Amino acid sequence: MGYLRLFGTMGAEASFREEDFFGREEELSALTRAALEGSRGIGSSFMIYGPPNIGKTSLLLKLAKVLGTSADGEGLPRPFPLYFSFSQILSHPLALSQHFLQEFLLQLLRFLGDARPSAFDPAAMCDRLASFGVTGCREILAAHERCTAEGDGLSALVNALSFPFSASGELFYPVFLFDDFQYTGKLQGVPDGAMLSILRPYIKSGHFPMFLSGSSPGRVTAALKREGLFGTFQMIEVGGLSTDSSVRLWGHLCERRRVDIPASLLPRASERIGGIPAYQRMLVEEIFFRSAKVPDAVTLENLYAVSVTEGKLNRYWREFFENTFPDRARRGRAIRFLKRVLCDRFPLDTVEGAISLMGASEEEGESILSALEFKGLLKADLDQLAFVGDPVLADFLYWAFERGVLGKGTSQVAAAIVQARLSRTAPEPGQGGDHARRVAIVKELMRKWDLREVPLLLLDFGKFREKFGGKGLLEVVIGMEREAVRVRLPKVSSVSTGYRASRGGPRFDFDLVAYGFLDADFSEENLVLWAVDAAVEKNLGTRVVEHFENRCRLLALEKGLPHDRLRKWMIINETADPAAVDLASRYGIHLSHPTQLRLFLNLFGLEELEREPEPASSPAAESPRIGKTLEYELVLPIKADSEVVAARVAEEVAAVAAVDADTVDRIKMAIIEACINAFEHSASESGKVRLRYLLSPDKIELFVQDDGKGFRAGKTPEESKKNRGWGLKLIRELVDDVEIITGPDGTVVHMVQQIGAVPANPGPLQQGEGGPASPGER
Amino acid sequence: MSPYKSIRIREEGDTLVVCVGGYLNSLLGEEVEKVVRAKLDDGGRRILLNFQGTRLVNSIGISFVIGVVEKVMELEGRMAFCEVSRINRDLFRVTGLAKYVRSFETEKEALDYLSGNA
Repeated sequence: MGYLRLFGTMGAEASFREEDFFGREEELSALTRAALEGSRGIGSSFMIYGPPNIGKTSLLLKLAKVLGTSADGEGLPRPFPLYFSFSQILSHPLALSQHFLQEFLLQLLRFLGDARPSAFDPAAMCDRLASFGVTGCREILAAHERCTAEGDGLSALVNALSFPFSASGELFYPVFLFDDFQYTGKLQGVPDGAMLSILRPYIKSGHFPMFLSGSSPGRVTAALKREGLFGTFQMIEVGGLSTDSSVRLWGHLCERRRVDIPASLLPRASERIGGIPAYQRMLVEEIFFRSAKVPDAVTLENLYAVSVTEGKLNRYWREFFENTFPDRARRGRAIRFLKRVLCDRFPLDTVEGAISLMGASEEEGESILSALEFKGLLKADLDQLAFVGDPVLADFLYWAFERGVLGKGTSQVAAAIVQARLSRTAPEPGQGGDHARRVAIVKELMRKWDLREVPLLLLDFGKFREKFGGKGLLEVVIGMEREAVRVRLPKVSSVSTGYRASRGGPRFDFDLVAYGFLDADFSEENLVLWAVDAAVEKNLGTRVVEHFENRCRLLALEKGLPHDRLRKWMIINETADPAAVDLASRYGIHLSHPTQLRLFLNLFGLEELEREPEPASSPAAESPRIGKTLEYELVLPIKADSEVVAARVAEEVAAVAAVDADTVDRIKMAIIEACINAFEHSASESGKVRLRYLLSPDKIELFVQDDGKGFRAGKTPEESKKNRGWGLKLIRELVDDVEIITGPDGTVVHMVQQIGAVPANPGPLQQGEGGPASPGER
Repeated sequence: MSPYKSIRIREEGDTLVVCVGGYLNSLLGEEVEKVVRAKLDDGGRRILLNFQGTRLVNSIGISFVIGVVEKVMELEGRMAFCEVSRINRDLFRVTGLAKYVRSFETEKEALDYLSGNA
């Protein structure tokens, strides 16, 4: 019979580098203390658990190093740290027992100061041990060989595991560091829990501190409870590193690989991957192999996403799932299930719920859950489930899901992952109809662009505010028309609304993306993209601009666009921080205030779009307050029926003041008459009529201004013939006061309607001849 | 075509009922004039304008209604309005229409009046 060192166990412990170990000072000192107390027979046992890859093995190995170099008090036995991993392939008790024996002998010899033993000859090793004063090994070995020859696996195992019990004494005492302990529940022909029964004397003695580690605490603690040992164990959960330790680890890893990541990005990078050392290592390797430069957060995110979709992080998890679920269909089911729970945050904590969510048979569902529990991706305590929240796993699941179900390309998924994670604090998408409406307006607007030339000021809020801050709309319009600097808009061929998915919080899509062509030439060289966001927050801050810019860069990356072919446009909701305006200008982001947007709409003859539910976006258009005058402005194109828009706005303004329905009707009719008069008689050159609504506590004032030749108060002969020309007469009847001012720049009809606490007076109209109709309101 | 134009007609006995919906502007007024004129040309003499669905009215629209009324009177037909909102009744009064055409609260009352029962 030959003894082979099994390669399957050369996993984590072989790749452990002590210099890569950072943090976990607290756990380490607690465990060291407990181990050292074994010398006085008061050592205790620990159950160390945590998700896969978190660093449990490293912790055990670090502990082994610490204990191996500890010099305890004179005369007391030294701790002998015995690290042993119950790995997957040691499922036969004979193989396990042989392997344990040889590990024990080997490590003990090393511990005692022997140079590396040349061959795995247990008999020779026993003799060597005798020379160090460890006697009696030969007898145990002989007994073990007999059991093996008879094929009695359980006895061989008991024999091997009891070896340390006999082979210690005055000089040293073993400290057991048993890794991957969950596999002891899967030994062939050995009942679940038998291993703990064998180890019980050690555990109970206090002289053999025992540290069990594994990713399936539910399974192991259940076994401990069955064996009545649970009370003697203390539980230690291993999580990610503290930010501080994690940053130090980054520094160390980067230095080793000569990778340069700015220090300012490190805390964020740590948080990004949950402070998990193994991921940090893999990411640094990824960056190293790609010889990538990491100047900023976006690049780092890109590299991370690449790693998780096709690099090292991807390979790690892919192999994990392939090993856990060799069956393809079952693997797919598990991934979809976890994706729902971990990425979509589907609330779930019962086994029953999990199985029904999987849509699997009870048997299959339980076997999937059991595999996940075994691998430490979930904790099962009775019927309660808790899932491991691992950020990298979540992104991997997203990738696997999108690839498997939607067949998306890697780059698309990578971009989505980066976008989702770029800013955890980015604003939530607006839920209100107001935001959706503004987006719809902009969408309509862009459809009409068609190579028109517009004043650049409409797209530059900074300059716009500088020039027109505090001025009335009329002045702005006139100023705009004289504006010489113009920008030529593209011919837009499609405008799509972003799908605004929200994975784990922040939005990562644009409100609109428009594809357009310069110079009406539909060729690749002339392609230009417009990315548009309508801000949700009332005051635009730098953070939102930053986030928008980041997403724009990703979009350019994804589409392979040259720098100048992506136009960025943000629509401000109400106000903007000067710093945000500056930042946008530095990034080349076009910024438009709602006022500019209205001018845009006006330019394209689209004002009707704005009619619901707020008439305009004058800064004063907030909640009405007694004693305060609200002002609304509107520019109408001279166009059939656009006076209806004016009426609608009047209705909304009146609604703000809670005016009675009859007065509202009067105001609407009056403004309609004023508008159609302006349309008919103004002979306006600009093709526009401008309206102003002033709402004070006691009255509503309406101004209708055209830039034509003047209001015709009388009837023309033609109008008389056609029963027309009632306009002014009607207005006079409808509202309390009318004034017509004609100047060189046009004509203004100024109408005043008293409102106030008392419901509107019956008005100047006399109660007429009594028709059968009663004066009920409609 | 104006999005605010909406007109429905039907016959009730020998009365043409014109339901004026939406915004009574020049286009809708023209439409009313057209259907009434067609009825008159066919020899019909009883016209009822139902303003139940009329949300807005402007002076040009009213001028068309005045034209219709003049035409009906010229041909010695009978005409009535029904379901006129308060604001529209006021407008009809100001424009003098109310002097020539009676308004009824319900269509039935108006039809009874036109068929000579009232």
